[in-house]
Amino acid sequence: MKVAIVGCGKIADAHVEEIRKVHGAHVAAVCDIEPLMAEQLAVRYGIPGQYTDLAAMLDAEKPDVLHITAPPQTHLALTRQAVAAGCDVFLEKPVALHHADVQAIVEAVRAAGKKLAVNYWPEFEVQALELRRLLADGVLGTPVHVESFYGYNLADGYGLAIKQDPNHWVRRMPGQLFQNILDHMLNKIAPFIEDDEPSISACAYINAARAVESGANDLLDELRVTIRGSRTSAYVTFSANARPVGHTLKVYGTANTAYVDYNARTLVLERGQSFPSALGRLFPPFLVSRDYRRQAMRNLGRFYRARFHYFDGMRNLLTEFYRSIETDSPSPISSREILFVSSTMEKIFQQVYPGPQA
Amino acid sequence: MKILVTGAGGFLGVHVVSRLLEHGYTDIRCFVRDASKAERLREIAEAYPAAQLELRSGNLNSKADCAAAVDGIALIFHLAAGMKGSCADLFLNTVIASRTLLEALEARPPEASPPEANNDLSIEKTRVVLISSFGVYGVAALKRGALVSEDTPTEPHPELRDPYSYAKLRQEQLFLEYQQKYGFELVVVRPGVIYGPGGGHFSSRVGLQIGPVFFHLGGRNLLPLSYVENCAEAIVVAGTIPGAGTQVFNVHDDDLPTAAQYLRQYKKKVKRIRSIRLPYFLTRLGGGILEIYHRRSLGQLPAILTRYKIASEWGGNRFSNKKLHATGWRQLISTPDAMARTFEYFRQNPVKH
Repeated sequence: MKVAIVGCGKIADAHVEEIRKVHGAHVAAVCDIEPLMAEQLAVRYGIPGQYTDLAAMLDAEKPDVLHITAPPQTHLALTRQAVAAGCDVFLEKPVALHHADVQAIVEAVRAAGKKLAVNYWPEFEVQALELRRLLADGVLGTPVHVESFYGYNLADGYGLAIKQDPNHWVRRMPGQLFQNILDHMLNKIAPFIEDDEPSISACAYINAARAVESGANDLLDELRVTIRGSRTSAYVTFSANARPVGHTLKVYGTANTAYVDYNARTLVLERGQSFPSALGRLFPPFLVSRDYRRQAMRNLGRFYRARFHYFDGMRNLLTEFYRSIETDSPSPISSREILFVSSTMEKIFQQVYPGPQA
Repeated sequence: MKILVTGAGGFLGVHVVSRLLEHGYTDIRCFVRDASKAERLREIAEAYPAAQLELRSGNLNSKADCAAAVDGIALIFHLAAGMKGSCADLFLNTVIASRTLLEALEARPPEASPPEANNDLSIEKTRVVLISSFGVYGVAALKRGALVSEDTPTEPHPELRDPYSYAKLRQEQLFLEYQQKYGFELVVVRPGVIYGPGGGHFSSRVGLQIGPVFFHLGGRNLLPLSYVENCAEAIVVAGTIPGAGTQVFNVHDDDLPTAAQYLRQYKKKVKRIRSIRLPYFLTRLGGGILEIYHRRSLGQLPAILTRYKIASEWGGNRFSNKKLHATGWRQLISTPDAMARTFEYFRQNPVKH
């Protein structure tokens, strides 16, 4: 699989590293409108081709897949260019600024007969794959409710840059900070909400403590969303102030409840129990601690086998995506999932950032 | 003559502005990220009521901001740079920001060209003073105790070093490319470890804090310390000497302590910390093992220490500031006094590492 990358910012490092771990895949060239950015990526990773013009790269390199890691407002045009050159497309999130653009991206890829995937990598980590198995095996019963939580740190690194710079590209998106994160929260919910038009209620605000600390900073940093489908409901909680910075999913089923911690890479089951009275309150912690011990040993084993990288989920996702190209099977990320995420996001932004911008 | 100082609100920047004023330069444009947060500069301005200290907010990645910054400027002290983050972030904030500034300089309309010099400084052309770093030197292959001077070759494999050194070297190369193309005067100042009140407590040349333990890796290596006021003085003196042409100056203080002496005094005067002394050969051995593991595990643990990085950082060199002394620079604060002031500040402000 011959791969090229357009957009040589920070996240492109992760793409190069994970592509190289996929058997048979290699990065042939990188492209950025800014030559120094293309240069630094190509030099550090020893990538032979570096370009500032996508058309020139596609023409000269003829890659099988184009990874688009440029800012989201460019994704539609770049996708059209890629599929016209015969490439399948792997997109970094956010897919685009507006739902209409996401629809156009999906349609452009479909019309060209190519494949599309979005980098929803956490859903391909070991604990997320295990959740899928539990759901498929009926261990949870029928899902009743889902809670997706994502924490964020605005006090350091990338978060601090977003907070301090009102012109940061993240803050120029219609959904600002939330738009850079919500993909990773809503895609977890997509499989549980079957409705095309679920009821969505959202509110966002600045945490009182940070508002005092930061003065006039107008960056909303707390988001609460309720989504109600005909069979399942969901809560979405984004917090830039809660500590520790968490990344979790809780799926309440009619039989059992699963709690997934993406940071610790664990999944534990909260089971119904049949012991009477005080015994019924005595045993559950032992069962949960047994689950955690098992998960810890599994993670240790994965670490020993060198399958515990930060972006291990991306490696799994890319493996499946490249296989889908080779075997002409469905992409691991469905169009329905991509469109659900973007349409839900747009509805949330209309409520929390009302006005022409949204 | 109007002077521009980029990064004027930073740790070093405020001292450079202060030293410029002390040297009698009174027309200074301070380019900062957010002028509303430049309290230190406003305090300095109050101490020099006759001076024109212009605070200008902006982003060096903005062409318009850069054009406004260089308008009417005869001398630029370019301090602004990314200090941490990914390689892409550092390139964006150091290299690309520098290029935007240089392009703005060259795109200036003729009427905005530098005015005639009006004091003892004779500058016929625009002069740019770039604040670079010791990190640009290629010292990995040098023998222990080798002298690092301005003649030492620059890093042949910057991509194998830390992203900061890589970005700073590329920034220097960019300035040289533009200097050769457009012919402005270029003075490159390469400070060692800048320290002082408000700065970090430990340079990586002393060691690394990993979890609760400080791994002391520097041992008896000399620390090329540059107290922030001494460094600012050096930048101003080297940056304003007449007829400098294109020159490079190393900046560090005299009477340098070793890393072990620094750590010992820190423990005595600031606070007790748990430290483990790792001899160089053990650090090399550990780095080699980590390097092999990093390669075999396809990067499961980051290669924060490789033999190349270890040789560059803790190989043990001597340093020369003879060329700086030849400009007339004199150390304002002696090294013992500077360390005493710094440690007293650290003792009262025990936060940064």
